[in-house]
Amino acid sequence: RRQEDALGRHILHPRQGYLPANAERRESVLQRKRQEYFGFIQQYYDSRNDEHHQDTYRQIQIDIPRMSPESLVLQPKVTEIHIDIPRTNPLIPLFQQASVQEIFERILFIWAIRHPASGYVQGINDLVTPFFVVYVFEYIEEEVENFDVSSLQEEALRNIEADSFWCMSKLLDGIQDNYTFAQPGIQRKVKALEELVSRIDESVHRHMQQYEVEYLQFAFRWMNNLLMRELPLRCTIRLARQSEPGLSQAIWLPDTRGGEGPSITTEKEKRERHAEPEGFSHFHLYVCAAFLVRWRKEILEERDFQ
Amino acid sequence: MAKQYDVLFRLLLLGDSGVGKTCLLCRFTDNEFHPSHISTIGVDFKMKTLKIDGIKVRIQIWDTAGQERYQTITKQYYRRAQGIFLVYDITSERSFQHIMKWASDVDEYAPEKIRKILVGNKSDEVDKRQVATEQGIKLANAYGMDFFETSAFTNHNITETFTRLAEQVLAANKKDLDLLRMSGNEEINLAALEEEEGLYERAASDESKGCWC
Repeated sequence: RRQEDALGRHILHPRQGYLPANAERRESVLQRKRQEYFGFIQQYYDSRNDEHHQDTYRQIQIDIPRMSPESLVLQPKVTEIHIDIPRTNPLIPLFQQASVQEIFERILFIWAIRHPASGYVQGINDLVTPFFVVYVFEYIEEEVENFDVSSLQEEALRNIEADSFWCMSKLLDGIQDNYTFAQPGIQRKVKALEELVSRIDESVHRHMQQYEVEYLQFAFRWMNNLLMRELPLRCTIRLARQSEPGLSQAIWLPDTRGGEGPSITTEKEKRERHAEPEGFSHFHLYVCAAFLVRWRKEILEERDFQ
Repeated sequence: MAKQYDVLFRLLLLGDSGVGKTCLLCRFTDNEFHPSHISTIGVDFKMKTLKIDGIKVRIQIWDTAGQERYQTITKQYYRRAQGIFLVYDITSERSFQHIMKWASDVDEYAPEKIRKILVGNKSDEVDKRQVATEQGIKLANAYGMDFFETSAFTNHNITETFTRLAEQVLAANKKDLDLLRMSGNEEINLAALEEEEGLYERAASDESKGCWC
């Protein structure tokens, strides 16, 4: 087995063994979706400074430059317990490049104005990262640290951008109510986590009640950013890979749900993954619950949650 | 075990996205500064213990996301706070204009006797200044608040600002505190006191709770 690199590119490598057959069809769909995306850019991107869009664009511009994973590494608390996971993050220089920041700005702006019910909400920017990184690293042979994205051929960069956009869109289709007014999706998922933990680990649940720890206080970000802030990127990517069909389906052919995407998956692969319609949401919920169970000893010993 | 603090209370940082709320907090609690701190999602918090008039004051500071979408979540924390920092960025006229909106939200959702303080952050960025110091002073006067211009980057006025609000909260709750201090050496959870509305409990202690009505 090939050793996984720091980004898990052999864990989630979209062109390796996942959609081998019917390459022609796949190519034509991809081309069409890419054209469609750049059509949006042409049509809408100039409106980013218009009065009714400027708030959206301003917020995106505030958030992008400060989403360098360097600050992800600096996140306190949760990362401290992941002593077995490498802390060094090879992506820091990547996110400081102007061309990368511009790609993220375009992806997020286009998504936001096409989804006015939620618009752009902080945290959505994190959801582009795993797709973007997986696609970029398809083109990289040299050391990650020295990689300059602008050295990629223009067409490759455009493909990466468009594919990342559609994958993120597909992912967000299922969870948009996380980001609409009052964030009902998150409220519901936090309640579901509470209900699940009360069933699978009553003592942890009672302990938190006793010390007045509300699930919303710690799990809000788990839901809002899909654990992107709590785990190193390679782990997030690995989790995404596990959650068939929600994400891995999104990763290729975003518009063929129920079409050839899943049908190529072998029965064995299906069994190994969590083949549910709400696959990703459920899987994510179980991972959150597993966090609590995994650190139950530490939680139960803790009495001061101030 | 020696008690770690005499009194505990909660302060809340409010203001537009990107004004530097998280940077103020990191400078105050850890004396660290990261020029581009990642956006806060929902609510985060940090602790610090101060000594004011011989009282060990443990403050729990809630740091909020500035984006409007998060306000359903962040407003749930208003009523549990005893003090609020209203933060704007002196290089952003817009963030200053929005202070009025933040202040009216506080009036609507926070306890009546909450103490507020106005903070104009990024005072080191003189070349980009859009809000004059006098404007800040004037607005603070209109609301009856104290006012500080701060810089998390140069560590200007940070401790002063946090200490001032802590002092004001202490003073506002002095009557309750005196009553409790006569009762002995237990830690006092001001936050819990307010929630109990007159049913005074000893806080955060494993011993049995007593009623001090």
